[in-house]
Parts: sequence; structure tokens; C-alpha cells
Amino acid sequence: MPKELTDTICEEIVFKGIYNKYSKDLHDFLYYKYGERFNPKDKAQDAFIKLWNNCKKVKLSKAKSYLFTVANNMMLNEVKHQQIVLKHQQINTKNHTNETPEFILEKEQFFERYKKILEGLSKEQRVAFLMNKAEGKKHSEIAELLGVTQKVVEYRIYSAFKILKKELEGFKIK
Amino acid sequence: MNKDILIKKWLNDELNDTEKVAFEKLDDAQINLAILENAKYFKASNFLEVDDFNTFKQHYYSQKQPAKKLFELSTFLKIAGVLVIAFGVYFAFFFNNETQIKTLAGEKTTVELPDKSQVFLNALSSIEYNESKWKDKRLLKLYGEAYFKVAKGKKFDVVTSSGIVTVVGTKFNVKQRLNYFEVKCFEGIVRVSSNTIERLLHAGDTYQILNNTFIESKTTAVLPKWTTNLSDFEAIPFKEVLAELERQYNIQIKSEDVNTNRLFTGGFVHNNLENALIAITQPMNITYELSSSNQVVIRGKNK
Repeated sequence: MPKELTDTICEEIVFKGIYNKYSKDLHDFLYYKYGERFNPKDKAQDAFIKLWNNCKKVKLSKAKSYLFTVANNMMLNEVKHQQIVLKHQQINTKNHTNETPEFILEKEQFFERYKKILEGLSKEQRVAFLMNKAEGKKHSEIAELLGVTQKVVEYRIYSAFKILKKELEGFKIK
Repeated sequence: MNKDILIKKWLNDELNDTEKVAFEKLDDAQINLAILENAKYFKASNFLEVDDFNTFKQHYYSQKQPAKKLFELSTFLKIAGVLVIAFGVYFAFFFNNETQIKTLAGEKTTVELPDKSQVFLNALSSIEYNESKWKDKRLLKLYGEAYFKVAKGKKFDVVTSSGIVTVVGTKFNVKQRLNYFEVKCFEGIVRVSSNTIERLLHAGDTYQILNNTFIESKTTAVLPKWTTNLSDFEAIPFKEVLAELERQYNIQIKSEDVNTNRLFTGGFVHNNLENALIAITQPMNITYELSSSNQVVIRGKNK
């Protein structure tokens, strides 16, 4: 097995490739896991900066896990035990809608509740569920990003879904 | 089928047609679908975009700290003076070994690497590699297009701004132009990794990312046509054909009333501009006009 060379990622062209490949996923992962209050965008960027500063010490094949670990640790330092806050898109209510005001209100309440439940899920459940159902990533892709097996990802999504269902069952959504 | 299992399969996107029907007939079908549909509202990119690489790079350089002062400047400078000269000479002799080979428009060339691997460079392309380190590190940067015949040995990397191609003893073509990244494997096995897609190519496989769309297909050729002074294209946007023509003949093409996104199948020779122009304009129902200073204007015939 040829010795894997560790200074490949110092080449800008390679680093750029890594950046383009993982910057969005890393940011999304931090956002889904920790919410928006702790600046996932900055943390993701800081992780890349740290990777570039340490490019001589990190092998190309380990770059992804380095990024995710570093970013996660940076987050943990800041978050500690604070509350997670997610955002959700404001539902556009057109002027000529044929939905009744009560219906619109219920929709808002549905979303508020949905958001609260997501925030209450375990981090693992939330990340897996949103990366799959909001981002559209395949189970295999999520497994690769998180460094777990596909079955684990499927299980987390299923657990998240069961909780959401239990809490949202009361709503009558069209 | 058990409801729980049905839901699990649905979450995994594994329902077959009959199961889909059964799922939709469940009494809580509505809430199931509502949960799924509305998850999309929480998508991260609805709220924040990551910076592109250039923005990141600017930020990186602006936040880098200036070098800290480690010791008394004047004494340091005296010593540094002698050392710098010594190192300067040493570096110039031994460390300037980044070899760069470039081709101009209309030019092709062959390069033999220190391990006897061969690189055939197409027009307007360049490669960079470190000759003295080649024994331990077979890494080469490519801008443009080249056909590689890699000698057996350690891992060989071709790095482009769109992706990395990794091989061990094989024959393959890499083309990296604007919005066009393509790798064709002619012999051996080649691993291509680009932004989100990684593939292992065997002889006859091709990997293409055109305008961010990924296409994998096959080729029956045994080597790229351009190495025999012909360009051929199969269902390629016409603008790419024009771009290659410009590179081979060192001309500039202006188009009027031509849909350059139309797909073109065909080819042109590299040694006769008139024939080349006929070959690409006739099938597309276009006329061409050659002006003196290496300019060509092509026009759609719908007038």
C-alpha cells in the first residue's frame, strides 16, 4: 500500500475541491444539529480555515472527518446546554387565497408545533430526519457524512418520525 | 402488511407500487404525508447560503495574522542575511522543480514524466508537476485536456479544479474546460471524485459533468480522437464544439441567430479550417463567413 501523502490538501486546487464538496453539508449539519443561534455558517467556515492551516497534518481521506469533528467541537464549546432554535419559512399568504383565516392560523400553529417538536428531538434524530426529508439526502450519503451505518440513519429517522406523528396527530391538515 | 413496516419502508423510500397503494389507504395517511411535505420548510438553505470558494479564500487571507515578532529584529536580520543568501542559492538549484508545460491554441504536445508515464496535451492546456518529488508523489495539476498513459507504480493523481482522478497504471482522458468536466477511461481502472459524485471507471466508461449535470455513459473508442487530430462529439452542446474549434485553430467565432445549446453529434478535422467549418455548420443548418483576422461569424439560416 503506497504511503499516503499528507500535503496534498495544501494545494489550492485540492482544497477548493474539498471546500466545494463539503461546505454546504457541514453547514447544514451544524444548523440541523445546533440550530441557528450559534452561527453555524461561521463555525463551518472556521473549521475550513483550521483545516487549511493544518493542511500538512491531515490526509485527504481524513479531511471530511476532520472538518466535522472540529466544527462539532467548536459548537459544543459554545452551546453547552442552551436551547436549540430552528427557523421555519414564513408561509406566504397571498391576498387572493381561498383559505379561510382559521385555516391559515391552524397552518401557522401546525408549523410552530412542528418546529418545537423538531427542537425537542435528540440531535441525532433531528440531523438524520432533516438531512433526509428537508435536504433530500439519501440514507447512504447521510451515513457517510456522519460516520455511522445506514441502518442507524434509518432508525433515527424512524424514531424522529414517530415522535412527530404522536405530537402532530391532532391537527387536521388538508 | 404490518402498518409499522409499511411506514418504515415509506420513510426509506422503498415502497413498491402495491405497497404505495396500501400506504395511501392507511387511515392516518394524511398526517403522514403532511409531516413529510412540511419538513421541507425547515431546509437549512432556505435561510442561509454558504460562501463560494472565492469568498472563503478572501476571508481566509484577510483573517490571517501578520507574522509575530519572535526576537530582536536587528540581530535577527544580520543572521538572516547570510542564511538567506545561502538558502537562496540552494533553493534555486534544488527546489524550483515545479515543472510547467503549456500548449497554445492550435498546439498539441507529448510529455514524458520521470516514471515514463506519458501525457498527451491538447490545445490550450497545461500541466504542472514536481519533477524531483515524482518518485514519491505522482501528483499532477491539469488545466484543460490531456490523455494519460500511466506507467504502473504508485498511485497517480490528476488534479483539476473540478475534480480529482486517481489511477494506478492505466489509460484515460481528462477534459476540464468551462462548465465541462469529463473523464474517459480506455484501460485499467480510474477513480474520479468531484464535488458530490465519486465513480470508479473501467475501460469504456465515461464520466461527465456538463453545466452541473452529471452523465455517465460508455465509449467504444480505444483512445481519444483528438490525439489523431480529429475532434468528435456525441450529443454535446454546440457551444462546446465551437469552443474546441477556436482552441484548435486559434480563431474566434461569433454566432448570430444560432442556438448554441443545441446538441451536436459529429466531428471536425484539425488540419483544414474550411472543412472543419463545413463539417460543423452544415448539419446544424448554419452558414459561416471567414474574415481575414482569424474571425469567423456563423449565422442561423432562418432568414
